[in-house]
Amino acid sequence: MSQLAQQLGEIKGRFDAALSRAADDAALEALRVAFFGRIGEITLLRRSIGKLPPAERPTAGKIINDTVASMEEQLSAVQAKLESAQFASELGKDIDVTFPSTEPAMGSIHPIRRLTEIISGYFERHGFAVVLGPEVEPDYYNFDALNIPAGHPAREGFDSFWLTDTLLLRPHTSPMQIRTMQQHQPPIAVIVPGKCYRRDAVDARHSYMFHQVEGLLVAHGIHFGHLKAMLTGMCSELFGPESSIRFRPSYFPFTEPSAEVDARCPLCKGRGGSCRMCGGSGWIELGGSGMVHPNVLREMKYDPEVVSGWAFGFGIERMALRRYDVDDIRRFFENDPAFLRQLR
Amino acid sequence: MKAPVGWLRDYVDLPESSHEIAELLASIGFPVDAIEPRPELSNVVVGRIDTLQKHPNADRLQVAKVDIGLRQPLNIATAATNVAVGQMIAVAMIGAQLPNLKIERRKMRGFESEGMMISADELGLPADWFEDGILQMDAETLLGADVISYFRLRDDVLDVDITTNRPDAMSMTGLARELAAATGKELRLPPELQHAEGRIGARDRDAKKDADGPAVSIRSADCTRFVAQRFSNITVRQSPLWMRVRLALAGQRPINNIVDVSNYVMLEVGQPLHFYDAAHLSGNHLIARDAAPGEKLVTLDDVEHELFQTDLVIADEQAVQGLAGIKGGKNAEVTAGTRKIILEAANFNGARIRRMSAAHGFRTDASTRHEKTLAPILTDLGAARAATLLIAEGAAAHAPHAFGDSLQKQTPVHLPLGEPKRLLGFDLNAKEIRALLSPLGFNSEQDGDQALLIQPPAWRNDVTISADVVEEIARMAGYDRVPMVMPAIATHDIASAAYHLENRIAYSLEALGYYEIVSYSLQGAGVRQRFSNAGLSLRAREVEIRNPLSAEQTFLRSALEPGILDHFARMDQPIKIFELGHVFEQGDRIEEIPMLAMGWAVENAREPNWRDSAFLQFKGDCEELVRRLTGRKPEASRDTYLGMHPGKCATLSLDGVEIMHLGAADPRLLHGYEIRRAVYLAVIPLTHIPEPAIPQYRPGSRFPSTTRDLALVVALEVSAKAIEQTIASTIGDLGKSVRVFDEYRGPQVGENQKSLAARMVLQRDDTTITDEEADEAVARALSALKSELGAEIRS
Repeated sequence: MSQLAQQLGEIKGRFDAALSRAADDAALEALRVAFFGRIGEITLLRRSIGKLPPAERPTAGKIINDTVASMEEQLSAVQAKLESAQFASELGKDIDVTFPSTEPAMGSIHPIRRLTEIISGYFERHGFAVVLGPEVEPDYYNFDALNIPAGHPAREGFDSFWLTDTLLLRPHTSPMQIRTMQQHQPPIAVIVPGKCYRRDAVDARHSYMFHQVEGLLVAHGIHFGHLKAMLTGMCSELFGPESSIRFRPSYFPFTEPSAEVDARCPLCKGRGGSCRMCGGSGWIELGGSGMVHPNVLREMKYDPEVVSGWAFGFGIERMALRRYDVDDIRRFFENDPAFLRQLR
Repeated sequence: MKAPVGWLRDYVDLPESSHEIAELLASIGFPVDAIEPRPELSNVVVGRIDTLQKHPNADRLQVAKVDIGLRQPLNIATAATNVAVGQMIAVAMIGAQLPNLKIERRKMRGFESEGMMISADELGLPADWFEDGILQMDAETLLGADVISYFRLRDDVLDVDITTNRPDAMSMTGLARELAAATGKELRLPPELQHAEGRIGARDRDAKKDADGPAVSIRSADCTRFVAQRFSNITVRQSPLWMRVRLALAGQRPINNIVDVSNYVMLEVGQPLHFYDAAHLSGNHLIARDAAPGEKLVTLDDVEHELFQTDLVIADEQAVQGLAGIKGGKNAEVTAGTRKIILEAANFNGARIRRMSAAHGFRTDASTRHEKTLAPILTDLGAARAATLLIAEGAAAHAPHAFGDSLQKQTPVHLPLGEPKRLLGFDLNAKEIRALLSPLGFNSEQDGDQALLIQPPAWRNDVTISADVVEEIARMAGYDRVPMVMPAIATHDIASAAYHLENRIAYSLEALGYYEIVSYSLQGAGVRQRFSNAGLSLRAREVEIRNPLSAEQTFLRSALEPGILDHFARMDQPIKIFELGHVFEQGDRIEEIPMLAMGWAVENAREPNWRDSAFLQFKGDCEELVRRLTGRKPEASRDTYLGMHPGKCATLSLDGVEIMHLGAADPRLLHGYEIRRAVYLAVIPLTHIPEPAIPQYRPGSRFPSTTRDLALVVALEVSAKAIEQTIASTIGDLGKSVRVFDEYRGPQVGENQKSLAARMVLQRDDTTITDEEADEAVARALSALKSELGAEIRS
């Protein structure tokens, strides 16, 4: 018995010495293995209890347990001390958080797609489908079916690139009105974004290639008021919640009545003056709109006395110039990465 | 159209401010493109030169006493040479403001001038359209009258945009009528333009006949009406100043008192006129007919035109005297010696005039009106107005004769009272509708309980259906009255799939670091040339544009890659870009294909011939894109594609269907584009991308895995894919992943051989895999690799 106590004392002595030398987690772990591991000194000592007479075993066990308890206490105290030193060292680290970031290698969506998506997304949420169409179209879809027969003065407004006697690059997205109405029955609710082409001399405000977004809603009971509400909502998404629109009477052969649509200038809020965004008018032009002409509906075999509808066609670049405050329409097609990065 | 505000004020009271007038016009559908401001002018009066003497101290100067209606004449020095005693002239008094000059008391060589005699230029009028030197006033002008206000020289000129459906408004009186309707003010027309509708049906009652008047034969259905009128006792001279000033402000150069009347009436009434010198017509007979083969015409501008048989001409019995509705001929031009004239006020089919104008490649003020098909009543109004103005010039007018269709009322339009509400969303009763339409000249009567019968005025041939009437109502009521109502849209079966596919592609590539570009779809011959310089020819025939504006617009692009390469050449920086757009191929018919192209310009790497790390990175991007679009990983196989490096080109497929082609750009092409970086290209037609597969979850094994690496030596032609496939098919379910991760060629392996390192991760789903099982699987794999691919373990 006393031998066991002596052994225990020696072990404890070695433990204390080792513990005082332990400077890190690894040393502590080694110490734990050396004393409490499978063949650790304490473990071996416990096994030796079996050699003692049965009467002495409980006392021996108690002595060992008490010593072990105190050793474990010491161990965890040292461990806690070590940990807190480690935290202190970790917490002592100090960096310059204003140092330039490492940029993620993201790409960018072209501003024209971005804007198209804002508009299309708005209309999709209100039940419109978004359809795409061909850029090479026969004159029937571009003109005849849209109430612009050959020789009609309005054809002049569509100075187009021709490929054959009857095929041309679409000067507007309206051919998709016809294609959609040919393939479906009312209700028709579509948005058509896409490229268009006109023989315009290129300058800061004009491009022979540009993008339009067309809207068409044909159903029973549709009137101008529905157009006003939808376009007002669209402008809220584009230019902010206080946006408003106005209609100015105009003429398009495929709508009657027709109107130009202006949005209140988002920069000067309609005050005008020397506003560089709207040029002082207080309004920015979005494009044309109107109630689908009865002749167009009739061409689609719809009864214009039963269904009615509206359509609009807006220039995306024209809106993008305003929304992103871009000075020259050609920047959209130069694709300078510095430009694209700014507008991503 | 240029509309001098001062001219419009003749017919209607208007606000002071040009901006206010412009807004009024815009609010009723006539946007003003520009307001041309007039210069600041003041203190210019009419004076008469009473005496004229040489300046005592200067040879070039004369000194005049000028009566301006005050007790004391003004002493004025002038250097002008066109002055004479008795002339009425414009005098700028001391303190007068002229465009670039303020008149002050000053001495000219010791003589104190009390004002200045001025020229047209100094009133802000085009100098070369008026006499050189001092501007001469008409003899009957009132002495001392304020020149600025008399000629309304401070009123701006509006450039009004008139939509093609409203040729009736392409005139001062037409615009004035619209402004009067918009403001509720009275419209003041010259007497001969009033009560226009009264002329309908009056032809038969017209007792006056001109026995010596010209005969007119109409031999084309495209000339619907022709009013001819004879004037004699003509003296050709300068027009009165008021008319010249008006014409000049409206952008029309004054010529002489006869030609000016035709232009003035065209601008005032909207009806183009033509005057023939009767002495130069053969036979007192005009014929509207199709041109005969081989006929020619020298027009007023001395240009000889070969006539097409599609041309409608006005001829006498001998020759063509004018291109109908476009321009008159030189032969019967009004000149200084003209004594008798024949007036033509005709109505033509607009589409015919438009085609003629396009065929000859020129337009005139007359053709821009005629090509929109004018209302026939304007012929009578124009002739009547011209007669008044010619009589004022001393001409003797004979009775007009009208040929062709007699004047008709417009067809009345049935307007259900609910129609405004149905189309505009707001209600109007019959009384309100009539009040809105009546100032525009529309008459209406009740048509049953629920409708109106609307009679459009004779000059409006654009209002033929109820929707047209609703537009007139909307113009007059204002779109501000339209309420805001959100539409409730019923479900429909129109799909947005193509649009969503494009957006998925764009957003996937954005996440992979690609910049979207949009480049022009038209291109010049340079693209084909660059490919041919590189020894390549474009895959497809390009579609040709018939009427390009420049050499850079001759073709539609047949591929997107040239645009990508062009971008790399222009921007000269390492970048990943992509474009979504249509390409066009000329076959039996024109094929239009929506397409995606990706490109990566990257610094050249120093790598052995058999390795291209950037290619593998790029392939990884492409595979990731396909996975995002389809939910599946595509198979890569070696391929060739135009514009791509033959040894660095692959096709990605799904179930044997080719999805995309990718590769390093052909170095010869890069050379042609002067691109010095390595470039990788990929193209995907968007026409056969499969619908996305829904990913299915498979739980991972809970048991540990073991990893084994194999170093193999194989022949050069054995691909990494073959190694992976052989291992995978041999070890079956045990193989959780098999991947070739390194390649080596060089002295340590034999010639025509390479070393490939493959790593397999082995794992069981039901228990821990044992070393023995793993060893056995590896052995099986090695044996298959040896027998199928001739692979040896690298020693």
